Amino acid sequence: MAAREVHHLAQCITCHAWNADMSMVAVCPNNNEVHIYKVSESPDTPWERVYVLEKHEQLVSGIDWAPKSNKIVTCSHDRNSYVWSLEGEEWQATLVILRLNRAATSVQWGPQENKFAVGSGAKTVCVCYYEEDNNWWVSKLIRKKHLSTVTSVSWHPNNVLLATTSTDSKCRIFSAFIKGVDARKDATTVFGDIKFGDELIQLDLACGWAFGAQWSPSGNSLAYVGHDSSIHFVTDVGPTPRARSLSLRHLPLRDVLFLSETRLVAGGFDCNPMLFGSEKTGDWEFISFLDEVKLPEEPKSDTLFAAAKGKFKWLGSESSEESTLTTTHHSCITMLRPRVPLSERSPDKAITLFSSSGLDGRVVIWDLNNVGDGLAGLRL
Amino acid sequence: MTIRFVFLQANTLRPYLTCIRNTLTAAMCLQNFPCQEVERHNKPEVEFKTSKELLLNPILICRNEAEKCLIESSINSLRISIKVKQADELENILAKKFLRFLSMRAESFQVLRRKPVQGYDISFLITNFHCEEMFKHKLIDFVVAFMEDIDKEISELKLSVNTRGRLVATEFLRQFT
Repeated sequence: MAAREVHHLAQCITCHAWNADMSMVAVCPNNNEVHIYKVSESPDTPWERVYVLEKHEQLVSGIDWAPKSNKIVTCSHDRNSYVWSLEGEEWQATLVILRLNRAATSVQWGPQENKFAVGSGAKTVCVCYYEEDNNWWVSKLIRKKHLSTVTSVSWHPNNVLLATTSTDSKCRIFSAFIKGVDARKDATTVFGDIKFGDELIQLDLACGWAFGAQWSPSGNSLAYVGHDSSIHFVTDVGPTPRARSLSLRHLPLRDVLFLSETRLVAGGFDCNPMLFGSEKTGDWEFISFLDEVKLPEEPKSDTLFAAAKGKFKWLGSESSEESTLTTTHHSCITMLRPRVPLSERSPDKAITLFSSSGLDGRVVIWDLNNVGDGLAGLRL
Repeated sequence: MTIRFVFLQANTLRPYLTCIRNTLTAAMCLQNFPCQEVERHNKPEVEFKTSKELLLNPILICRNEAEKCLIESSINSLRISIKVKQADELENILAKKFLRFLSMRAESFQVLRRKPVQGYDISFLITNFHCEEMFKHKLIDFVVAFMEDIDKEISELKLSVNTRGRLVATEFLRQFT
């Protein structure tokens, strides 16, 4: 069984984020608070809640924890975002001037942690950086191009390119180069010289709302999902990218996570993480579901007559078979995060431990080391 | 002859309900979505229909001319409108009264809409908040069971009206014999 630990923390979880050494996790239990739990040594003991961060007035829609600077950034439907830093025993919030007039939907720290991006319902993306003189975070807005709410944002490892997905079903890559914060040489990328807010690529591969954009560890590939149950992989992102789209027979996906350059896991409304892989040819394919679905036990009947009667009993009232099948998550998986510290990650080793949180309020840790025979042959 | 007719009716009921169940499983993929038009608001998009890109194509499932089910979905909400079989005038009145009784008490049902959509007899409004509190498959079971039970209820009501009418008429006319 790939699910190693299951922790039921709330009725519903919007988002979660791990700290640098994976000893603490910040979670939003579908309200305006952020709860930080300390992970216990053994998988069976429940996690202990150590901090509660209360500053937002509405639902906290995004949390990200910077591994090096140990700062947490949160964004909420109340148009605000805060940067929290641990001072002694308390988490202190620093104001972020977002200049948004609609809800913020997602947030992510840049790889160098001097900037972060916030997607919003105002059809804009805010890229925020720290201003020393006034001790606050200021933002530059990318106002162009989005025709609807921005659902997710993702930074390229070079700290300058930003991928966004939106409910207008498109995925776009923008330049988030800020003069004064980024080094001059970073302005030259595969796209040539770029300035802030330039739209470099617009990907129109999905027919439904786009979610969950993520870059691969090297930044060479990009993946995102669409609500039409599709998943799209773009390789060699640059002036001439190659794209591969897969249409799935299952319910739509919500989030993706790259485990390595050739392996990706995605989760969604099926409540079951799906593993995708690309071989040497570079074509991405669906490999398998990661969760073992428990089937209900057949009621045993003693006599033939009782068995026949049982058959007729069920002919009349047919309740859904799905109500008796159980996956580890009982509701949609909304976020996937790697559970391997940044220091232990390397380009040739795949991530084998990751966590998922969902609308059923569970955080599940998945371990791919002891996954069944079918996948044992495939090296991650 | 009567028996064969009932069998045929039952024959179309299963596929009709299975089709509705499958459509609901796909349409009920809802998520929390803050309003794009008004700040700090969170509204069921299927009711307001202000942003066209947030709405999905409505699906109409018809069992026959008289019975149909309209499923309209959006990013955070789903509206199911049902038109119930009404064979004659009496069933028409009974259905209207019974469903109005239920709709007036929509608060306790949570997922019921107080007024049915134009052209239909009863409507459900399911939002992402309902999906967070309750299991999705249980909600679908509820809607499908509701549809099955409605038909039975109305037939029972019709039977009891006819029986009562016959009894009352017999009693009344007895005094003239």
